[in-house]
Amino acid sequence: MKQQKTLFSIGFLAVLLVACKQEFLDITPLVGSTEANYYLTSEDAEAATIACYNNLQQEVTNIQGSAQLAAHFRWYFGDICSDDSFKGGSGDGDEPDLFLFENFQGNSSSRILLGEWQVAYRGIAYCNLALNNVPNIEMDLTDKSRFLGEAAFIRAYWYFNLVTMFGDVPLVLDNLSPSEYQQNRTPASEVWAQIEADLIAARESLPKRSAISVLEIGRATWGSATALLAKAHAYQGEWQTCHDLCMEIISSQEYFLAPNYANIFSEAGENGPGSIWEIQYMNASGGNWGNQLEGTFSNVWQRARGQFGGYGFNIPEQEFVDEFEDGDPRLAATVFQVGDQMGDRGTFTIEATGMPHFYYPKKFFINASDEAPFGDPNPNGYSNDRVIRYADILLFGAESAYHVGNEPLARQLTNMVRARARNSNSSILPNLDNNDTGPALLDAIYHERRVELGLEGHRFFDLVRQGRAAEKLATIGFTAGINEVFPIPEVEITLSGGLITQNNGY
Amino acid sequence: MKKLLLAFGFIGAILTTSFSQGKMVSGTVIASEGGFGLPGVTVVEKGTQNATFSDIDGKFALPVLGDSVTLVFSFIGYRSKEVSTSSIEPVNIQLDADVAGLEQVVVVGYGNQKRSKISGAVGTIDTKEITSLPVLRTEQALQGRAAGVQVTQNSGQPGSTQSIRIRGTGSLNNAEPLYVIDGIPSGGIDYLNPSDIESISILKDAASAAIYGARGGNGVVLITTKSGSKGEKPQVTYESYFGIQEPWKHMALLNAEEYAILMNESRSAAGLAPLAALGDPNALGEGFDWQDAIFQRAPMMNHSFSFTKGTKTTSTAVGGSYFTQDGIIGGEKGRFERYTFRINTRQDGGERFRMGQNVNFTHLNRSALAENNEFATPVGRALNMDPITTAQRPDGSYAYSEFIDSDIANPVNQIALNNDFWTTNRFVGSTFAEFDIHSNLTFRSTMSVDLALGSQRIFYPSYDLGIGPNDPNRPAYEFREVNSLVLGENKWSNWQWENTLNYAKQLKNGDDLQVIAGYSALNNMNTSFYGSRDSLASNDVLFAYLSNSMNNSEQTPTANGGISESAFIGQFIRVNYSLGEMWSLAGTVRRDGSSRFGVNNRYGIFPSLSAAYNLTELPWVSEKDWIDFLKVRASWGQNGNADGIGNFDYTSLIYNGLNYTFGSEQVQVNGAGPINTSNPDLKWETVEQTNIGLDADFYKGKLNIVADYFVKNTNDMLAVVPLPGVVGFLPSATNVASARNSGFEFMVNHRNQKGLVEFEVGGNISFIRNEVTDLGEGGQPISTGSVFGIGDLVSYTEIGQPMAYFYGYETAGIFQTDEEAAAYQALPNAQAGDIIFVDQNGDGTIDSDDKTVIGNPHPDFTYGFNASVNYKSFDFSLFCQGTYGNEILNGVFRYDLNTTNLPVEALERWTGEGTSDWYPRISHSDPNQNNRISDRFVEDGSFLRVKNVQLGYTLPERVMQRLQIGKCRVYVAASNLFTFTKYSGLDPEIGTRGTLEIGIDRGFYPAARSFMAGVNINF
Repeated sequence: MKQQKTLFSIGFLAVLLVACKQEFLDITPLVGSTEANYYLTSEDAEAATIACYNNLQQEVTNIQGSAQLAAHFRWYFGDICSDDSFKGGSGDGDEPDLFLFENFQGNSSSRILLGEWQVAYRGIAYCNLALNNVPNIEMDLTDKSRFLGEAAFIRAYWYFNLVTMFGDVPLVLDNLSPSEYQQNRTPASEVWAQIEADLIAARESLPKRSAISVLEIGRATWGSATALLAKAHAYQGEWQTCHDLCMEIISSQEYFLAPNYANIFSEAGENGPGSIWEIQYMNASGGNWGNQLEGTFSNVWQRARGQFGGYGFNIPEQEFVDEFEDGDPRLAATVFQVGDQMGDRGTFTIEATGMPHFYYPKKFFINASDEAPFGDPNPNGYSNDRVIRYADILLFGAESAYHVGNEPLARQLTNMVRARARNSNSSILPNLDNNDTGPALLDAIYHERRVELGLEGHRFFDLVRQGRAAEKLATIGFTAGINEVFPIPEVEITLSGGLITQNNGY
Repeated sequence: MKKLLLAFGFIGAILTTSFSQGKMVSGTVIASEGGFGLPGVTVVEKGTQNATFSDIDGKFALPVLGDSVTLVFSFIGYRSKEVSTSSIEPVNIQLDADVAGLEQVVVVGYGNQKRSKISGAVGTIDTKEITSLPVLRTEQALQGRAAGVQVTQNSGQPGSTQSIRIRGTGSLNNAEPLYVIDGIPSGGIDYLNPSDIESISILKDAASAAIYGARGGNGVVLITTKSGSKGEKPQVTYESYFGIQEPWKHMALLNAEEYAILMNESRSAAGLAPLAALGDPNALGEGFDWQDAIFQRAPMMNHSFSFTKGTKTTSTAVGGSYFTQDGIIGGEKGRFERYTFRINTRQDGGERFRMGQNVNFTHLNRSALAENNEFATPVGRALNMDPITTAQRPDGSYAYSEFIDSDIANPVNQIALNNDFWTTNRFVGSTFAEFDIHSNLTFRSTMSVDLALGSQRIFYPSYDLGIGPNDPNRPAYEFREVNSLVLGENKWSNWQWENTLNYAKQLKNGDDLQVIAGYSALNNMNTSFYGSRDSLASNDVLFAYLSNSMNNSEQTPTANGGISESAFIGQFIRVNYSLGEMWSLAGTVRRDGSSRFGVNNRYGIFPSLSAAYNLTELPWVSEKDWIDFLKVRASWGQNGNADGIGNFDYTSLIYNGLNYTFGSEQVQVNGAGPINTSNPDLKWETVEQTNIGLDADFYKGKLNIVADYFVKNTNDMLAVVPLPGVVGFLPSATNVASARNSGFEFMVNHRNQKGLVEFEVGGNISFIRNEVTDLGEGGQPISTGSVFGIGDLVSYTEIGQPMAYFYGYETAGIFQTDEEAAAYQALPNAQAGDIIFVDQNGDGTIDSDDKTVIGNPHPDFTYGFNASVNYKSFDFSLFCQGTYGNEILNGVFRYDLNTTNLPVEALERWTGEGTSDWYPRISHSDPNQNNRISDRFVEDGSFLRVKNVQLGYTLPERVMQRLQIGKCRVYVAASNLFTFTKYSGLDPEIGTRGTLEIGIDRGFYPAARSFMAGVNINF
């Protein structure tokens, strides 16, 4: 009896152990993948990389902490919050948060900032996923290296936006587990260091633009990473490095200035010879409000109201219009003035727009005939966002040449930009010469940036990095020591359990 | 209940040792009341496993081991008795009837316990209450019968589910209890024939449910089916009833004349001219009654037979039934049919080996009409349809309304066109083997399967309610050009394997030790396939098959399907220890693992402790002869609620479609990634409950009281809480929230006999307070409960309040003058006759910050009571049930559409200064948004319902003998005979639609009132 009992107990225990094997509970879904059974093949690696790009397009998005969609564009902050343009819209109450920011009275409860913050970190999360998972995939090494380079570049792009918007921000390089959800701010210097590290890695693994097929246009290249790295050094005042990088791009002969400035912003000008980094949009993906897909909202947002059917944002200021030299054809390519023909949508009159504005932005204007072939045209604009153009790099080359003491080169690079703008009309935009020296030369370069890159989302950030924001924006409420950065969204401070602190003065 | 003890008594028989020697003790066991011999009484030599049964005359003979022995006599329904004897003379033993049921054996998880020894809070439903009343669904047997158990119909439509809340809503997610039928966990009990049920136990406190670990958090309903008993004579039972159901209430709505007057007024208030068709209200008269048009009388019928038989070593129970019920809306369009067949068998294989099998097959057919929404249900449409339009035109064709926009289509036509069929074939079976390793140690292994095959078939015929083929006035929702068909097949297959070791020993000092240890492995698999096509050749549902489509384009057929799987593993041990008659102690630990839990929390441990102290033997109790039995109980334990978790919720599924455009040709390239966070820490919701209780019997068991107080805290409750943006992904549910349910339950029962009159009265009441105590970081409230007619979410869950309370604007009467309205600047568009909404925060505007608590859907208390009287061959019973203090949000009317019919209260609208202080003026434009969510839509939902009243007559024995029938009882009964409520809607008994939508009436399918006549025959 006893023996039997023992035997039985052993048998019982054996059964118990077998049944309790861990694998019994390890069930994976057969329909749909999970993180656990994804990131296995080269197709997965590519899809994970494309997901990094996807988020770049998100302008009007669902965000946590607000029941409403949050709109946030590069030009909201770069142009409207500068001396180049006013908010516009149907009145002060149209995007009221932005009206406050324009006057440097914005506060941390704004969902515009929440959108900017959350979309950037969402983009970073996809980059982190790719950067953490693609290395383990067995696949073609060239492709793998390129995918990783693209993810690193896009991550650097997001951190660049975050650090210039908010200063110190949490530096998240891994996909967080719940115990890590509450993050501290990382000093901006460390964020910059990571941006540089990512871009150096990206530069080494990304192909040159000349090496990619036409089917891949729009993907990040060696030039995109090098240009953003040059900008990163410029923003930190590291002029020698910035200069070297700009010269590397220039001497690579990968890019040149399109002959006609105005063409750059047409549909034909997309991904043109001077396009270094351009966010791609198209009008036929069937996007809608709340699910933007591949279209942009910038077209409708920046188009005049009234018969033109737009929302009338980003109204150029008189001071900006006055900045253009006499006869500079870039003004007509940047700004609609009363009496101008607005494509196939009619003549710009105050009556036709229903708003008391004398100028409208032009770079995102599209013809009615080019609107989305189906669906709601408003979320389905086609215009790409020209984030880094060759002219931008030439002018950084000039600015950095000036700072490293090479005035002749600074003038030469600036003159390249002026020459293209001049477009063989010798009566306008004379070259800088040896009289343009010292601070006057720097002012000339600054002037050239403002008009060449006008309404492309650079101005506010340029003024801050140049240390001129207080001087230029004081009249509209800029306070030095505070308004160089925007407030951290209040919701994020709360959700961080107070680990994230508010920026000075907000 | 008697059969149950016999079933378990056979274990004792096995224990009879064959090698006994020494002398023989014999005698007769008789009932003290009646003096007849009691068959089947277990006789055990105390301290040994030496035992036997009494024979049919109550005689027994037991070879005993010792010289002077103590014999223990036990029999269900009688109090156990110990007798010491050294005599070889026959002894006569009298057993007293156990009126209070102290010896009654209660099914608890993985075993049974005497009621007198139970230390947790276990409610039981008397089998008699299930079988003697015509219970349509097993859940109904629970309604109002056990304190702390709230059963609410989710719809009155035949075959609809019921929501059951044991001790309150303990989860934001799944709050339904776990059902365990003959040891098999089951997602619902609709497949059972109520007549097959032997007993129902409800494990209410954590200590009782702890043996079910991660799945016991919402309480456990244990159902045991009849399995016959050894030695039982063949017994055949036939039960049947027929019934007629009818609606018991119509809502009072405007008639055609009143409707026309109000519509004209409403248009005029908005500056619109009256409609020509409504120009002369007087001429319109009463108009058409849409409620009459959709409601009807509907039959129902039940046939059920059972057969039980036992031999010395086997028992068999066979049961079969057919039940059919038509809907009071749509008749056979709402028909539910249930066919069941069951065989339960038990066999002895020698003295130490036993086995048994349960096999149940159920076939369900259901034809269902849309219910409980405000868009497309016959009830919602009938209540909102204007009273001028008729269902049919004089030529018999179905008509459309000229007055009502949007989705209020002709409900009679809708019913006629409805073809929505569900068929389920379900096989549930188990087999067990039990082996005595040692006289104290038993091993049991049970394998069970639960296979359900469900087919759905929905056919949408084409139709056109226009007058002629191209009627320009015909609304878009009153025709369908192309017919279409959806066919679906689902398969759910579960298997479970459980092994237990049971050790039971009576110690020398009289203490009892019982230990059960075991493990359980469970796997669930669900596969589905759906296909649809349009343009079928025939518009007749008979020919609605996918291959009969005329549309051969590749676009229109759709097909999809999937598979999902989950697994559970549990290991458990329970120790019960009785110190004499005074103390009963129990401790349980279960360790549960599930594939649904995140990898970091695959296993949880669920402990519990409980103790009961029997005060009966204490001098101050025993000297009071009116106290029979007095026991206090206390228990503590932790359970989990894992059934609210989806199969792969812990991981984040990869979403394709995170695309980007490349190249000169603008080609979209697929990107993929997760959208939500994965949560490798995802785990069960932890339910921790403390219970104290009291069981008492007075006056020789004639008065019984059970009282319990409990505090049930649900922690780690799953909720979606906003995450810091740095996480990058949208939040998934995490174990962050907490809720508390605390309450008091009281049951009392009194039975007595005065001459030939036997009567019994009893009742139960439970007070439960529900409160959300935590919603995670930030405490973000949860909004639910969209009500379209009001255009808002009406339910709100936030810390410090009960779950899903009603949230909206408080009203303070009506502006009587324009001056008064103008002076109230918070409502800039208000004028005389508009509602005054209260500016709660005093900021001078009325916005969502001014919403506040406007109602609570949870009752202050729920109660049930029953009374029964037997006189000679007649029996009468009455059962009532109700709730008090709960509120209902009346979201029946589509105020958003302007032109729907309205309740008669609208006649008391404001029409000038002083005319009304509660019903606003009627206006098509409604600039003040008088119909926004406010306390004016919240009504008292308290009700008292006479659930069942029954009169039965048992035919006299001499007649029976002539007919050679054992027993025959005939009865008439009525369900829902009366309902007392102030609620204006069709039915105050409104269940849930999702855990966080409680008590919202969107045009609720009301329960029917039914009248039945039936017969129970035992051959």
